[in-house]
Amino acid sequence: MATEYSIRMGDGKRVYHDKKQIMDDLEAGIADAADLGEISGLSSDETERIAEIIMLEGRMVGVEEGKEVPVTHDISTLRIDGDQGNSGVGIPSSRMIGCMMHERAFGADTMELGHIDYSYKPVKPVIAQECQAMEVCQQNMIIPLLYGAMPNMGLYYTPDGPFENPGDLMKAFKIAEAQESIEKSADHLTRDMIWIMQHLMRSASDGVNFDTTGAAGDGDMYSTLHAVEALRKEFPNMYIEVGMAGECVLGMHGGLEYDGTTLAGLWPHQQAPLVSKAGANLFGPVVNTNTSKSFSWNLGRAVTFIKAAVEASDIPCHVDMGMGVGGIPMFETPPIDAVSRASKAMVEVAGVDGI
Amino acid sequence: MILLAITNKNIVGRKMSKEELAKELSDAIISCKKDNVIAAVEKARDAGMEPTEIIEKGLAAGMNEVGVLFERGKLFLPHVMMAADAMTQGVALLEKDMEPGESAKKPAVIVNGTVEGDVHDIGKSIVSTMLQSAGFEVHDIGRDMPTKAFIDKIKEVNANVVGLSALMTTTMQGQKEVIEALKEEGLRDEIKVMLGGAPVTQAWADKIGADLYAENATEAVRGVKEILNV
Repeated sequence: MATEYSIRMGDGKRVYHDKKQIMDDLEAGIADAADLGEISGLSSDETERIAEIIMLEGRMVGVEEGKEVPVTHDISTLRIDGDQGNSGVGIPSSRMIGCMMHERAFGADTMELGHIDYSYKPVKPVIAQECQAMEVCQQNMIIPLLYGAMPNMGLYYTPDGPFENPGDLMKAFKIAEAQESIEKSADHLTRDMIWIMQHLMRSASDGVNFDTTGAAGDGDMYSTLHAVEALRKEFPNMYIEVGMAGECVLGMHGGLEYDGTTLAGLWPHQQAPLVSKAGANLFGPVVNTNTSKSFSWNLGRAVTFIKAAVEASDIPCHVDMGMGVGGIPMFETPPIDAVSRASKAMVEVAGVDGI
Repeated sequence: MILLAITNKNIVGRKMSKEELAKELSDAIISCKKDNVIAAVEKARDAGMEPTEIIEKGLAAGMNEVGVLFERGKLFLPHVMMAADAMTQGVALLEKDMEPGESAKKPAVIVNGTVEGDVHDIGKSIVSTMLQSAGFEVHDIGRDMPTKAFIDKIKEVNANVVGLSALMTTTMQGQKEVIEALKEEGLRDEIKVMLGGAPVTQAWADKIGADLYAENATEAVRGVKEILNV
């Protein structure tokens, strides 16, 4: 009987696969990415290398010496004292303590300050408090500290915002009205994000992280790219990070363009050049995990997409690795066996610059 | 983006085959342009094609292709809606030629929503839109909806299918609560339950006794058609 290896399904369930099953799933995942993204698949050597990583002994694995990459964290400011039933550990502390623990105890190379809601819109009414928190954190920290939040354009639609919900309009066949609502929301969001970051930059922020860009579709990304462009113009030395929400930009509008490129339907390797063109320093590509497929399938697929993005990008790519992305299972506390193996494959095969 | 233009070429001296006419109808739907669809329907009707053939082999086939292109990120939500709108117009042109009862009838009533505690809207809305564009009567009750809201709407519209969306592992339990409530209300045997959302799996659907798990909007349409045999 062939040796079986303990791996995960995309929902975190433990299963046992032999090498043939692992290779079959890897090849199927690679083929899926290559087909959807119209990109090259991985070579047989690369596929074999990922299989080796999956089959490594030991619950946790690491990259080879000399291949270490920077690690940056996003909402982790809130991850120490936050306990939202998902990723927080609920230890009474503060945002500053969260930042400092990541800097001094957890080895983070950069950090960000974030608002409890983690969207730009709700920061606007509490901007003075956010600026004060930024100043205090900066006085106590050495590593680059960005301000981070999600563009989250859905907050500009009814019932949360002033513009009619395009989803409702679309279902009523009011397509032009839906597109107009997206355009107005995007303009409003761009203005808000610029305004918020102007204040935080004056309060010593080292830069900005646009986290989960494109979550509300192409309008969300359109808005972010325009905000990046404006901020780069105003603050030539600020550090700008753009991380994506998903692997493909959803076409909620369908016709929005940036620099002559239609945003809807872009895959990571097509997103990277636009993010760079807008003026970002760093791109965070995402590949979603399919909860019904194996870790091997998801990792093969994710590495294929990310490798293409790295090759297409002229700025560093720090791949998003966490619950439900980057080949890692969708699970409240992602299993370390899968997290460490996926991270190693991303560094050693996809060639990412950071995580 | 793929927006195919309908071919207006005249094939002089040769009558177009039904296959060619069906292809033209399908391409017109994929073009997402109402005028193209109306022109293609009129042409097919004048050529003697039966209304049911025009719908099934031409327009519906085109909508299926639109679904495929949507799934592959080549067409987007507005295009799907434009195609669906164009198909509705095309079918309306044929209704007077059809026998009573033969005209397109909405095959099922679907209540769709995101369960309580979960404010995610977009994925669920895309599923609603795709189901609607496939001809179903869809009642999208929104996001963060209490179990009672699902039950009330199901009763109100006499739904055949309920779609329960959850994007967070912490809110998946809400899907189970709706299923339990359906049992308590004596409605479970009369309605099919469909689950969706990134953390949801077939295993979870099996565990809580749902009838259908759909990984994406296209699968939701395909799955509902299969489960209702329509």
